[in-house]
Amino acid sequence: MKRLNLFFVVSLVLVITLLAGCAKKPAEANVIKIGGTYNLTGAMASLDVPASKGSKLAVKEINAAGGVLGKNIDYILYDGKTDSATNGSIATQLVNSDKVVAIVGNTDSDSALAIGPIAQKAGIPYLTAGATSPKLPDQVGSYMFLEPFGDNVQAAAGAEFMYNELNCKTAWLLWDKGTEYTTLLAKYWKERYEELGGKILLEDTYSQGDTDFSAQIARLRTLNPQPDGLYIAALQASDGGTIAKQLRDAGVIQPIVGGDGWDGPELVGVGGKAAENVYFTTHALANAERGTPKMKAFIEAYKKEYGAEPESAFAALGYDAIYLMADAIKRAGSTDSEAIRKALSETEGFQGITGTITYPPGKRVPQKSVTIIGIKNGQYTLAAEVTPEKIPEP
Amino acid sequence: MSNINQKSLKNFISLLELLGISSILMLALAVLGLKNPYLMRVAILVGINIILVVALNLSNGFTGIFSLGHVGFMAIGAYTSSILTLTVATKSTNLPSLPIWLAHTQFGFLPALLIAGSLAALIALLIGFPLMRLSGNYVAVATLGFLVIIHIVLINWEQFTRGARTFSGVIQYTTLWWVYIWILITIYVVWRIVHSHYGRALLAVRDDPIAAQTMGVSILRSRLLAFVVSAFLSAVGGGLMAHFLTSFSPATFYFTATFNYIIILIIGGLGSISGSVLGATLVTLLTELLRNFEQSIRLYGLSQIILAAALVLIIIFYPKGLIGYREINWLQLLKLGSTKGTNNNSERR
Repeated sequence: MKRLNLFFVVSLVLVITLLAGCAKKPAEANVIKIGGTYNLTGAMASLDVPASKGSKLAVKEINAAGGVLGKNIDYILYDGKTDSATNGSIATQLVNSDKVVAIVGNTDSDSALAIGPIAQKAGIPYLTAGATSPKLPDQVGSYMFLEPFGDNVQAAAGAEFMYNELNCKTAWLLWDKGTEYTTLLAKYWKERYEELGGKILLEDTYSQGDTDFSAQIARLRTLNPQPDGLYIAALQASDGGTIAKQLRDAGVIQPIVGGDGWDGPELVGVGGKAAENVYFTTHALANAERGTPKMKAFIEAYKKEYGAEPESAFAALGYDAIYLMADAIKRAGSTDSEAIRKALSETEGFQGITGTITYPPGKRVPQKSVTIIGIKNGQYTLAAEVTPEKIPEP
Repeated sequence: MSNINQKSLKNFISLLELLGISSILMLALAVLGLKNPYLMRVAILVGINIILVVALNLSNGFTGIFSLGHVGFMAIGAYTSSILTLTVATKSTNLPSLPIWLAHTQFGFLPALLIAGSLAALIALLIGFPLMRLSGNYVAVATLGFLVIIHIVLINWEQFTRGARTFSGVIQYTTLWWVYIWILITIYVVWRIVHSHYGRALLAVRDDPIAAQTMGVSILRSRLLAFVVSAFLSAVGGGLMAHFLTSFSPATFYFTATFNYIIILIIGGLGSISGSVLGATLVTLLTELLRNFEQSIRLYGLSQIILAAALVLIIIFYPKGLIGYREINWLQLLKLGSTKGTNNNSERR
């Protein structure tokens, strides 16, 4: 009897899967389907959830204002679960089952590299809201676009800011060697910083998930003279906060500079007072009092929708990405994927809340200025708005 | 004499049944996948998971080496076969500092898989000599150490692996046919080993090492054989996975994957090939099914919770896994469906 039950369960599961696969949603002619791919659960959730909320808000606003080409946008959001196989599956579902005309999503290169090739093969434009590896478009192909600046741009901005504004002529470099993003960020920063004439006294690494940095800090303390500044490429704001706290506890008072991974409430939340004299490069200052007017309007709308301020600049990136794609569809005048790709690649002077986006001819990484945020009295304040003089090759 | 013949004939029929059931399963999935590339992906994933779990079962279930390091062999297989099959052009951009002999050669899929499997088998042989002398929890911890070492090597050996960065540009060679053929090979090999005199020795070593030793069975030799074969098959599974995903990083082959396969193994039943096939199929399909369900009601993360709860229930009600130590006797199962109460003592061990 027990075995019979089992057999029954197996058959049932197979049948349900079959039905789930075959069930087709009724086709609506009056909507434009855009696919959404974010890792709403798993390690990337801290960046992807705000970004996905930003995207959803933008869709709601656009539809409330009459949609695009007279049609509403249907934003079909899937959870990639921070897993390559799942990301591949959701991309396939979006392309083949949902038949979307474009995909907008993701804030990390790993996921972008799982989804990009599938969109490329199907000839569907894929705009990543927050993955910053400048190599992505060349790795994936002509349908892959970046909405944020590349890591080479923000690393160069960080290096120039440190060398010129903070007057750090010598530095200590620490990076997380467990991710693509931090490895590339450290590499680009080093290239630009040494080009400027800066001297790196010591390079050190840690691995994703480490919480004790005493060995690295001890090696830093043995340096004589001590470096003028510290550059730390960390994946998440909580990592940044932890490292800053341990550095300050060990008596290291020099300025610390990081990348856009540091952008999140955890930096001050975990770091506390240690986060003073800390700077990071990011996409925009998501602050209701000190942001630009457009940013203020966005924050107001976000607060109204979700009951809280945007968690990080990634919310603004997700928001901009949808508007950028909608703008491209409007200019293409049709929902044909190839026409959208062409219009997107010809984007010039698109005014987003994270900056002005222009794709240089033949490039699919935008030219954008970099916002540098400094922490004063536990508050994010705008330290500089930088367009790097020279950018390392991707 | 005739008794022995009858028994081996019966074994042979069970093997045929198992291969047949796997074939029907794959065929069903293939038919579903014909028109729908998404279902095709799910079918391939089911197939690869079957290979990996059956391979894992040879060591963890039949031999009692509770290895937590098999995902390390998977990683070796994935990276080795991917490096070998990358086109020369991709190599020059993605892996610019490869040694010249490697940079200018491109292997076919099959030779790459075989080389990857052999490399993993060789490494299994080397680490097996010290590790297979350990037992119980010690071997679990030691193999976990092996997994950590592999992970650190992958992150640091940038010349070959791109370090922590995503390894991309792998050609998508893996089709359902490739997976299907490897399922047949895997099931056949594991079945033959388990039902040979080596297999008897493995089971004896698992159940009572001292008694087995008294009977003249070499513990090290039998365990090593299972470990090496299982490593070979895991690496092939890893290679198939790599050429299915086309992009991966060291994080793809680490703790999450390890726990995933251990869970499938335990759900299916340690020491049962049909259990592994059933477990891999059920868990993979259920994961996708629940994901689509949570998608439809927009409650992201629900699938993980339901799946975890299901695991707890299964472990409570089927502590030995769905199948336990037996093999499903499919013919009898069908008979059972029509005439209830058939004597099925023969299935019990």
